[in-house]
Amino acid sequence: MNGMFFALLGASLATALAGIGSAKGVGSAAQTAMGVLSEDSSKFGKMLVLTLLPGTQGLYGFIVGFLILVSCGVLGGAMPTMGQGLAFCAASLAIGLGGLFSGIAQGKAAVSGIAMTAKDDANFSKGMVSVTLVEIYALLAFIVSLLVVIQIPSLKI
Amino acid sequence: MKSVRIIALRQDRKRLLEHLQDSALMQISKSEKSRDGFNRVDLSSQTQVFERNVNLTEQALKILASVSPEKGGMLASFKGRQEVDPDEIGVIASNSKDVIAVCTRLTELDKKRSDNAAEQVRIKTQLAQLEAWQNLDIPLNTTETQSTAVFIGSFPTLYTESALKEAIAAENPKLCFETEIQHSEAAMTCAVIFVPKSQKQMAEETLRALSFAKPMSPTSKIPKTKAERLREKSERLTRETEEATAAIEGLVEHRHDIQITQDYFRIRTDKYKVINGLDHSKHVFIIEGYVPEEDCEKLEKLCTRVATCALEFWDAPEDAPVKLKNNKFAEPAQSILTMYSPPGRADIDPTPVLAFFFYFFFGMMFSDAGYGVLMVVATTLMIKFFKPDKKMRNNLKLFQYCGVSTILWGLVFGSIFGDAPATIYNYFTGANGTMAQMLPWPTLDPQKDALLLMIVSIAFGLVHILVGMGCKFIMCIRQKDWGGAFFDTGLWMLMLVGFAVLAAGIALSPALLTVGAVIAIACAVGLLLTQGRKSKSIGGKIVGGLASLYDVTGYISDLLSYSRLLALGLTTGVMAQVFNMLSTMMGRSVVGFIFFILIFVVGHLVNIGLNALGSYVHTMRLQYVEMFGKFYEGGGKEFEPFSLQSKYIKIQEDK
Repeated sequence: MNGMFFALLGASLATALAGIGSAKGVGSAAQTAMGVLSEDSSKFGKMLVLTLLPGTQGLYGFIVGFLILVSCGVLGGAMPTMGQGLAFCAASLAIGLGGLFSGIAQGKAAVSGIAMTAKDDANFSKGMVSVTLVEIYALLAFIVSLLVVIQIPSLKI
Repeated sequence: MKSVRIIALRQDRKRLLEHLQDSALMQISKSEKSRDGFNRVDLSSQTQVFERNVNLTEQALKILASVSPEKGGMLASFKGRQEVDPDEIGVIASNSKDVIAVCTRLTELDKKRSDNAAEQVRIKTQLAQLEAWQNLDIPLNTTETQSTAVFIGSFPTLYTESALKEAIAAENPKLCFETEIQHSEAAMTCAVIFVPKSQKQMAEETLRALSFAKPMSPTSKIPKTKAERLREKSERLTRETEEATAAIEGLVEHRHDIQITQDYFRIRTDKYKVINGLDHSKHVFIIEGYVPEEDCEKLEKLCTRVATCALEFWDAPEDAPVKLKNNKFAEPAQSILTMYSPPGRADIDPTPVLAFFFYFFFGMMFSDAGYGVLMVVATTLMIKFFKPDKKMRNNLKLFQYCGVSTILWGLVFGSIFGDAPATIYNYFTGANGTMAQMLPWPTLDPQKDALLLMIVSIAFGLVHILVGMGCKFIMCIRQKDWGGAFFDTGLWMLMLVGFAVLAAGIALSPALLTVGAVIAIACAVGLLLTQGRKSKSIGGKIVGGLASLYDVTGYISDLLSYSRLLALGLTTGVMAQVFNMLSTMMGRSVVGFIFFILIFVVGHLVNIGLNALGSYVHTMRLQYVEMFGKFYEGGGKEFEPFSLQSKYIKIQEDK
């Protein structure tokens, strides 16, 4: 038996969990943004930026998932051993869980940022920067997953 | 920045203010109260008239837009304002009365439309009520004939003719009556009841017991005729509304005039508001404000040319507004700086540094030569064809420079629409080439060399942070805060360099390792000794020194934050690669080729949208949090000269 199942499980976890985080984050931000837009549609650009900020986690998860697929024999690369498969699975948990919770948290921050920008456009840059503060944790999780995933094919386990 | 005071004769007021407004040289400061011996002129009634005209024209333009939207759509917002010769202002002024009349007519027409719409809703409800009585051939408000009393109305229950008779008979067996049901539905029966006049009183009571109700709007006409009349009226209103709409459409040609007139009144409002805030004596008036140092001479020349006046310049106080002045390379980034906060009195203008790192980091994150070329081409074309105003022009320039940087980084990473050249080559030849084989120069693949690129990113971050601290160092020196410069900033800078050497030593040679360690330890000792210098007790000094070393965690998290350069760069590349891969999925056939083009175009557009936004936001964050956090105080005010604030037209300065 080889590690294909676990490698694919890893790819799915990374993409799906981080995707859920982003979906929840963007969803709640979009709800608030539409409330603001119903009052003043000229703020569309600013609202769009704030709404999309929690969307990066899903991208990070997707990239880790994609890199697993290209290195585990589905879209290229060699069939992983059992050890490698388990390692893929383990590595994907970082961005999966990190993306899930940071996405939701960033969504909440984005909602507040939107409310702040709705009051005064001058608050936009402050709101935007505050919302990106959350992102660093998704980023760290992504870097960990990424650095491990690209090393696994050369590991003898 | 200089402060300026202009004292001029009242008779020159109009001319002088007009020229000041045209030239946009100075900012006029307002004070609440006039100084002793001077008075304020109250022009607020005129100002109100102008403001009302501005509102009226705005309303008129909105009405016109609702009938025929202005052409141009999204791209129109990039367009610069129309240029108008100063001489034309006189013409605009003399036409303004007619234009305002047009605007008034427009609002009247629009009011008619909305009134008609409201009236039609009312007619509709009335018609719905009359619907039930359409077979009745006597007026709804009939109450009696010569010998009988007539009750017309409804019961809140469904009755048949016989059931109704039974119900009334059950309520009052003594009553003689005749009924006629006009209409019946689920919870309503409309009926006419006849009783002898002598029993009118009794009948009323009986009917009340059965919850009989008279119609809402009894008319003296036969229902059918009334309905007919109402329908006619409704048709007439529809016609009138159409006529009004047509009349509004006929006035669309005045849109341009209305816009220009609106600007004319806006400019005049600004001017009158300024006059309201000026101190006047019997013969002279005083203007006070700020003027950038390089414009002092120009201002003096202008004022003495158009008016009899005396000028006085002196150094501006510390809370004076700031005018940023930068070369062509840095100017586009000014908007990024002012979005954060204009520089405060202690700050040095960080725009040049900001501009360089903004372009650099944006390019590194967006990092695709194909996308970069698109950005440069699009912004260049827009600047060329739309001739946008200065602000929009600078924004476009910002992305043009970012585009250049994006191209360069795309070439370093070997990414041109992702791996599109290799994908397309493979698609048509069936070969299995990669980008690295195809490009003649050595590339750095973020997917394979992620670790190396992360180190590079953090190294750039170190440089960025050191530059930020360097600014702090200079600011401290300028303020003669030697301790702040050498102990608080200098030692930390040296310490970070020490760490960098140490890290390089781990990878390269033990000698560097030792050097780095020595520098870091020396700095740490230095910090321990100096950071508690402000506290008085010995204990406080020791605690202060130790606590300051804890700041090292802050620097580490700042540096790690730069790993986003790798993350976003990778995101762009991988997403592009994914879309390229998807686009070739249908194989080599006609359908496959169409599918290829479709997925390729849509996919890359999505990727550009997502990642350009991400790169912009994260570049900004690196500047605002990591670099500005080190030195920038902000909180200044922007220099806002008294100028022609217009929305649609741009009045050329006379040269």
